[in-house]
Parts: sequence; C-alpha cells; structure tokens
Amino acid sequence: MIECNDLMVCTQALEKGYDMGNSKLEVLKDINLHISKGKFIVLCGPSGSGKTTLLNLIGGIDRPSKGKILVAGQDLTMQNEDFLSDFRCNHVGFVFQAYNLVSTLTVAENVAFPMEWTRKPESEIGQRVTELLKTVGLDSRANHFPSQLSGGEQQRVAFARALSNDPELFLADEPTGNLDVKNAQKIIQVLQLLKSEGKTVIVSTHDLEIKQLADQVLCLEDGKLVDNNE
Amino acid sequence: MANWSITMSNAGFPINDLLRRKLQTTLTVATLTLSIASTLFLLFFSNRLELGIASSKGTLTLGLNGIFSQFIVFIGALIFIVGAVLTSFIVFFMMAQRTRDFGLIKAAGCPNSLVAGYFMTELLIVTFAGCVLGVVFGFLMDFAVSNVVFSGYQLPNFWFALLVFVAFFVLAIFFGLQPLLKTSRMSPMQALSPINYYGLTIGPKLKLLSRSGLIWRIASRSLLRRQSASLRIIILLSIVFILLTVSVTGGIIAKDTTTSWIQTPLDGNIIAIAHTNMENQYNLLLSKFSEAKETGDFNYSDPKIAIPEAVIQVLTSSPSVSVVDSRLVVLERLHEISNFTIDPDTSATLPVGDSREGDAIVVGVNPQKLVGEWSIKGRFLSGNGDLEAVIGDSVSQSIFYSHPSQFVVLSDPLVEGIRIQNTTFNIVGICVDPLNSGQVGYVPIDKLENATGITNPNLILIKLNDSTDRAADISQIKSIVQAADPDLQVFDLSGVVDHNVSFLSFTWQTIMLLPLFTLASAAMCLVGYMVLSVDEQHQEFAILRAVGAKPQIIIAISAIQGAIVLISSFAIGIPLGIIITLLILMTNPLITVFSVIDIAAWLSVALIGMFIFSLYPAFRLAKASILKIMT
Repeated sequence: MIECNDLMVCTQALEKGYDMGNSKLEVLKDINLHISKGKFIVLCGPSGSGKTTLLNLIGGIDRPSKGKILVAGQDLTMQNEDFLSDFRCNHVGFVFQAYNLVSTLTVAENVAFPMEWTRKPESEIGQRVTELLKTVGLDSRANHFPSQLSGGEQQRVAFARALSNDPELFLADEPTGNLDVKNAQKIIQVLQLLKSEGKTVIVSTHDLEIKQLADQVLCLEDGKLVDNNE
Repeated sequence: MANWSITMSNAGFPINDLLRRKLQTTLTVATLTLSIASTLFLLFFSNRLELGIASSKGTLTLGLNGIFSQFIVFIGALIFIVGAVLTSFIVFFMMAQRTRDFGLIKAAGCPNSLVAGYFMTELLIVTFAGCVLGVVFGFLMDFAVSNVVFSGYQLPNFWFALLVFVAFFVLAIFFGLQPLLKTSRMSPMQALSPINYYGLTIGPKLKLLSRSGLIWRIASRSLLRRQSASLRIIILLSIVFILLTVSVTGGIIAKDTTTSWIQTPLDGNIIAIAHTNMENQYNLLLSKFSEAKETGDFNYSDPKIAIPEAVIQVLTSSPSVSVVDSRLVVLERLHEISNFTIDPDTSATLPVGDSREGDAIVVGVNPQKLVGEWSIKGRFLSGNGDLEAVIGDSVSQSIFYSHPSQFVVLSDPLVEGIRIQNTTFNIVGICVDPLNSGQVGYVPIDKLENATGITNPNLILIKLNDSTDRAADISQIKSIVQAADPDLQVFDLSGVVDHNVSFLSFTWQTIMLLPLFTLASAAMCLVGYMVLSVDEQHQEFAILRAVGAKPQIIIAISAIQGAIVLISSFAIGIPLGIIITLLILMTNPLITVFSVIDIAAWLSVALIGMFIFSLYPAFRLAKASILKIMT
C-alpha cells in the first residue's frame, strides 16, 4: 500500500461516469495514480480516452463517481464547492485547450484576478502581473482585451493566469493543440521553465517535444491507464 | 428498431426545441400571458364599473366615475404600451437566442426558407399559447374579482377578448419577425458571431471603474458590452415603473382625495334628526353611493315629517350642540336654463346649453349654518339672499353635457341656471356629494321653501361639541328632541358614511390589483433579461469558477447587473410617473404623510421583490457544476 501523504497526486480506484438517461457512460475506470512532487507528467491517449476528465478531477473542477483522490495533501473526494474553489485558487493552475479568458477583462486583469480572490495587496499583484507577462512575452499587450489577441497570445495569457498564485500543481489540457509552431514553441519554453523551477506539472498532449520533457508518461485508453513508463 | 429519430420534421424541431428550453419557453409564454391577462382584466373590470359609459342607475357619482375612468383609461393605455414593448422584448429575446442555432443549421446546408420556417413555427406556437392563456387568465381574473366586488358574475363583453387577442397576436408576430428576418439575411458566419446574436460591441473602449472592485468591473463591463439588450430592458422597465408609479401613487392619492370628498360633507361629530320615515329615506339616499337601490316614491312634502321650529330652538340652545343645520330635502324636476357667451376670437354670441331637464334631490340649506363642506368646482352658496344653486357632479354630467349631434355644442353649468318649480337659480358650483349618487342640488332653504311652498325643514344635521362622552351627549339630545316631538328620531350617520368610504376604498383596492399584475409582468421580464445575461456570460462564469471563484461571486456579479438595470429604470420611471400623476391624473390632490409612506412602501417592495426575482437565473447557474456550465 502506497502512502498518499507525500505525493502531489494520489488516486485510489478512481472512477468517473455520467448518467445518460437509461445508460451510464464510464469515462474513467479504476485509476490508481501516484505522482510525486516536482514531477513533469505527460498524459497521452486518443481523443475520448478520459484525459480531460482526469485533469478535471485532479484540478477539483469535477468530482469522482467512486474511489478516492488526494491532491496536494487535500482529499477532494467529498468536498463542497466552497472548499474546491479555495483549493483551485490556492493550489492549482489550470490551462484549458480553449484559452478561456474573461473577455471583459484586459490581459493584465485576466492575469490579476485569481490573485484578487486571495486578497493579495495591490502592489504585489501589480508586480506579479508585470513579471508573468514578461515571462510569456506579452508585457506590451497588458491593456489589450482578449478579442484583440491571436490564439497563441491568448494561450500565453492563460499560462500567465494559471501561474499567478504560484500554484504547487500546474495542469494543462492540450496547451499547444490549437497553436502554430512558433506559438507552441513559446508555450514549451514556459513549460521548461516550470520544470526547471521544480513545479509539479501534468500536461495532456500529443506534442512530442513536450513528451521529451516528461519524467513520466501516462497513457489512457478507454478510461484505463494502460502504460506507465518511469 | 431504434427508439430515436434523427429527422427534423417541420413541426417536430420547433416543438422539441421549445420543450428543451423549458425556462425560456415558460418565461416567454408566462410574460405574454400576464401582459394579455392584465389588459383584458382591465377592460372587463372598467366595463363592469360602467366607467366611461356613465350610468345614472349605478353606484358612486358620475364625477367619481369620471376620475376612475380617466385613471383606468390612462393605466390601460400604459399597460397596452408596456404590453407592446414587453412583447417586442420577449420575442426579440427569444429569437436572439435562436440566432446562433439559425446560423448553425444554415451552415450545415439547410435551406434558408426551411430554417426560417422552423423558427416561425416556434414564434407562432409561443405567441398563440401566450395569447390563449392570457385570454383564459383574463376571464378567470375577471370571474374571481367580479364575484367579490359585484356579488355575482355576469358574462363580460366578449369583443374585448377578441380585440386583445388579435391585437397582441399581431403585435407579437410583427415584432418576432423582425429579428427572424434580419437573421435570415445573414450569412451563417455572421449568425454564429456573438457580435450579432448578443448585439455585442467589439470591446469596451470605455475603461471606466478600472480601480473599483473586480466583481463590479466584470458586471458593469458586461452590461456595457450588451448595449442593445441592456438599453432595451432599461426602456421597458422604465415604462413599467412609470406605470407602477402612476398606478400606485395615483391610486393612493386619488383614493385619499376622493375619500375626503365623500367624508367632508358629513364629516366629524355629526348626528341627524328626522321623522322615522325621513330617517329611512335619507339613509337610503346616502347609501345609493355604495349600493344600487331604488329610493321609491316618497312624499317629502308630507307635513307629518316636517320638523317644528320649537325643536330647532331647543337644539340651538343646547350646550352640547355646536351647529344646527336645518335642511329641506325634496325631489324636484330640474330644468336647464341656457345662456349665451361671447366667442373671444370672433365676438359672436354663442348659445350655452339647452332646455334639458331631469329629476334630482334638492336640498335647501342655510349657507351660514352648515355642518360640513364639499369639494367644489366654482364656489358654494354665498348666503347673501341671491338665487344661487350648487349642483352635484352627477346632475352636471347627466343634464349639462355637450352633445354636438343634438346641437348642444357648448354646455357649461357654471354659466347656466336651473329652474325649480317657477324659480330660477344661477349655478355657482359643482360639488361631489354621495347623496343620491351625486344626483343632487343645493339651494338656499328660504328660496326652496318659497318655490315649493313647504314651510318647515324635514331634516336637521347637528354638529356636536367635542366631548369626552359622545354617547351621553346623543342620549341627552334624544331626550330633548323626543320631549318636543315623540315621532322624531335621532340617528347617527357615521355608519352609512363609513360604508360609503369602505366601498370607495374597496373599489380603489381592486383597481390597485393592476399594479400587481404589472409588477408580475415586469418581474418576469427582468428574469428573462437575466437569463439572457447569464446565458451570454456562462462561459466566463465557468472560467471564473474554474480558477477559484466561489458560486457567490457569480451571484454577486448578476446581482450588480440586476441592480444597475433596476436602479437606472427606477430613476427614469419614478420621477416621470410622479409628474404624470400629479399633473394629469388628479387636480388638487390630497397628499398626506400616510400617502407618502404608503407609496414609498409599495415602490420599495416592488424594487426589492424584482431584485430578488432577478437573481433566480444566477442562483440556478451557481448551483450547476463547472463542467455543465462550460458545455
């Protein structure tokens, strides 16, 4: 039996299914995952294999149907929405495939608002936003709105936002899936930086270059973990 | 065989689409229903009160009927306008939600005419359902209220139902077709763009409130982005608040004012003395205001009901009596005495009035010794011996009305006269009086005695001095009066006056149901807007939730948006409503502290109620899982 306390992510017999009227759609089946702190993990698998669902469960965006899940020492299995909100805000940075920026906020505001939930002082927020936008190469676009940016630029803003609260765990769902080579390269540079800083990173991707960064590649097929190469 | 269908029949798609959007469909139908039901109920109700048609055999006075009529016609017009704007908004809202689907279906290769057919069918189904339900609810409301107010139900005028049904159906179809036609002319890409289906601006150039809180920033910027929908809802709610203010403020002020008109002629510490038969008759005349009763044949000149001078003398010297108001009440034929006036433009002589006539109760009074006062247009009798008369508002409207088809172009009682028997009186005032439902005239008692040949009064009203023991005072007066004449009765008028006031209040209260209807319509409309607002922002709410915002944040953003819309509409609607009420609906309004408190309470409850209602879609969204919102 593996002790979960020292791990960043630990799941036991994790299952996720959806009721579809008379039938039930099993998306994840018996997932036992043990990810140590500071590891760079790549999730692979064909479309519909359950990668996004697994990331959602780890990020506290969704709840499992069965089994147990511990992330950053927190048992997420039966927590209420307020707890999960705090957890997402303080422990996790999440990058979605579809950028998902708030269109009514500027680039700087999009990066700043997760910090505002944690009531950080304004000066600290300003400093952090400048630093993050420099990291993703968008400091000159701080006052632009998402609709004025290209897809790649929006994804970089999403990265900056995910990093704003300096999370222990960084999750990214197909971050380069919609990007051209040049923009994808910039995203990969950010991921390399995270790896060098010793962050725990879990990325769902088909990108071979990102796979090369991985300490571990986990493959899903029909909702089950089929390969586990350390 | 598979138990599912993949084809979209002409009727199948619209029905399924409507059924799968339960909240939106219910809101649309419910709002149309409320709008139509309230309009129809109003028409039925005013018809039942015979307002605007003026009935001499009904209750109230014709002057008060006129006020009710003016009030209800104005509210009716506003309700009709609100109905039109509401219908426009609701169908616009419904079709705006379909724009993206329209684009998707077109993009998949479906012919434009077929897609337009689907959505036209939806529009027809929703509009027809709303109109039918509205008419049904209008009838039900009329049935319920009629049974309470009129103590019995008679079938209403079905033409009103037909008129409302056709007018609103046509109106809804007309407004619903506008966004539909606009969408059908767009390319699929345009129809799929949020800029079109939400009327968004490209990006908020106005960076106001940037130093304010994050929640406030998101809420206010989203409102600015949805300029078209936001402006539309503010205009609609402003009209609703004008209507609400006119209904509430006008209703309360008019109620207080008209109640005072009914109370003041017999207000205060007043008791009456008359022969038993005259007592019954006078009570009957007073209660005609609230109950349609026949006064029957009564001999007012019967010497048996005359009050001896000795009784008046005794009462005048009584220490508990403040004023002794001797009256001679008779039923007389009033003859209109026409007059002439000079046209200021042409200097031509114009005839005023005709030679019409009618029966009325004529009361002879001593203008120097009156127990009450009247709300009067013109003035009351001067008491200097002139042949003057004041007529009730019902006499004014039943005899002295302009009727061009009968060649009575000009008619103005205040420049005309009346003849009673062989005596002609100049009309100096028109009063509101509940006696005989306003079919009444007042002349100096000595002139009436001369005209009729009756020498003694047949009714005495006395005003008692303020005393701690009213019952003892009345008892003392009873003994004085009966010692002088055992057939005389002392009776208290407060019962019949209170009954009249209650009737008037109840009538106003019934009319005040209209603001409730309007409020319900407005609340539904606001919820509709908030559904649109939340729907448009659902993706962003999901993002906020995903990065750590608690559900309360979503509710707070929606609450701020709802509050901005409501307060903007309130700020426009309330002052305009008050101005309209005071300038147009009521002359010489009676405004008391209690009226103001009453009005403030009504409007506050309306604002708070609507605000709470508006949060429903946000609460619903906040309870949903993030993934459900995102997808």
